[in-house]
Amino acid sequence: MRIGLIAMSGVRVRTEELAKLGVTLPQFVSRGKVIASLPSLGLLTVAGLTPPDCEVVYREIAEVDSATAIEPFDLVGISSFTAQIDEAYALADRYRAAGVPVVLGGLHVSLMPDEAATHADSIVVNGAEGAWPALIEDFRAGQMRPRYDGLRTRVFDDANYVMPRFELMAGRPYNRMTVQTSRGCPLDCEFCAASIRITSGYQQKPVERVVAEIRRALDVRKQPFFEFADDNTFVNKKWGKALLRAIEPLGIRWFTETDISIADDEELLDLLADSGCRQLLIGLESPGRDGLAGIDPHNWKQDRSGNYLRAIDRIQSRGITVNGCFILGLDTHTPAIFESVQDFVRRSGLLEVQLTVQTPFPGTPLYRRLHTERRLLAERFWDRCTLFDVTFQPKHMSVGELESGLRWLFGEVYNAREFLARKRNYMEIVKARMN
Amino acid sequence: MTAVNDVEARVRAVMHDVSRQDTTSIGPDDDLVEVLGVDSLQGLQVLAGVEKRFGIRLPDEELIHLRTIGRIADAVRRAQSAEEVP
Repeated sequence: MRIGLIAMSGVRVRTEELAKLGVTLPQFVSRGKVIASLPSLGLLTVAGLTPPDCEVVYREIAEVDSATAIEPFDLVGISSFTAQIDEAYALADRYRAAGVPVVLGGLHVSLMPDEAATHADSIVVNGAEGAWPALIEDFRAGQMRPRYDGLRTRVFDDANYVMPRFELMAGRPYNRMTVQTSRGCPLDCEFCAASIRITSGYQQKPVERVVAEIRRALDVRKQPFFEFADDNTFVNKKWGKALLRAIEPLGIRWFTETDISIADDEELLDLLADSGCRQLLIGLESPGRDGLAGIDPHNWKQDRSGNYLRAIDRIQSRGITVNGCFILGLDTHTPAIFESVQDFVRRSGLLEVQLTVQTPFPGTPLYRRLHTERRLLAERFWDRCTLFDVTFQPKHMSVGELESGLRWLFGEVYNAREFLARKRNYMEIVKARMN
Repeated sequence: MTAVNDVEARVRAVMHDVSRQDTTSIGPDDDLVEVLGVDSLQGLQVLAGVEKRFGIRLPDEELIHLRTIGRIADAVRRAQSAEEVP
């Protein structure tokens, strides 16, 4: 049996003016290329869950576009996110028209299962663990059901865990490999459309499994840069220290996402630096206390906002860059937010900055609230869920003000002068750490 | 060893320290990103190490272009010459 697994990657900004501006800004282009060049860890995990007597073929969307002949697969699995889901549906329709059964999965499919089911012979909701092996068995017996629900808990337990098939990346031009160390996040931010939506609680992978996966990935790729595909890696500081001590001997370079509390623990920061951590992506969301009200149910981020500057300095002084993320268009934001963010970025010395617009991904609490308040600009806007296109009516500014403010801020933060200033800042930190 | 080769050798040594890779076979015109797989932060670490070791400051506007041992060595020599000017 030959199974094709097709990954969707890359996001195109829909707002024309922003798209034109984006391609001229060096730091924006730089991170965009990185995101577009990550392998699909979800599909590598699906491959790991596939019985060994099946042939698994990994394809990127660019390899199976409409100009390409349909490959002779017995079954096709497609994983996509919201912004590209219509392309995924079109691809699924094309395979099905050619007589090839299609299974759809991923975050969007899990959150919008009824919609996805109209384009698939079967869908997988939540993670593939606990679903895919049964689906394959049923398919072979000619009894594939229209829906399989994967596990929301215990995905890293012995009975459910599989090693992703990193060997499928052999010969491909990726210089980055992804490894997941945890799933979910306890902060439960209203806008979050990440793995928290397909898990029932925060789950951590046993350290020895993480190490084994990194070793396997290193067998496939010489000296890759690792991205931990987590939403908040260091919730549990004790587990985090054990992980860092275990990966330090591997000599890897890596990146992950976590929250600002990591800066509270000096020992953890030292271990991060020693283990090869190059960058932490941290959701700061808004530069001041007032802007963070209601972001998460317990106002955890708001309570921490007074420590942002000190925390950034403590992390970056280890030679680890902080990629500070800001969301524009929160309900607390007025048109003054754009200058506030610019001012904070300058004062903080952040070495990387990610600016996005608040996006009500379907299935999130934010989507439900804005839908109830009749503030969504369209009934269906999935292709605009790019994190850069405005899809809702902001509370304290117009759509036009949010769009033009975003463009202004992009120009101020991502221009060549600021890009070089951040590079220089990083070099001075590195030099200060040298003996 | 000539002065020219000495600068390149010292740049190569910094590169080895940062990348933990054998740099002896890297040619002066080899692109460090393509040949060594150096990422953007490692590239900056190399340049920071070069500044520290030679006691110079490379021009900010040149940083993104310094992707070969030859170019870095040239930039070092220019920076050294500029600092010697009374």
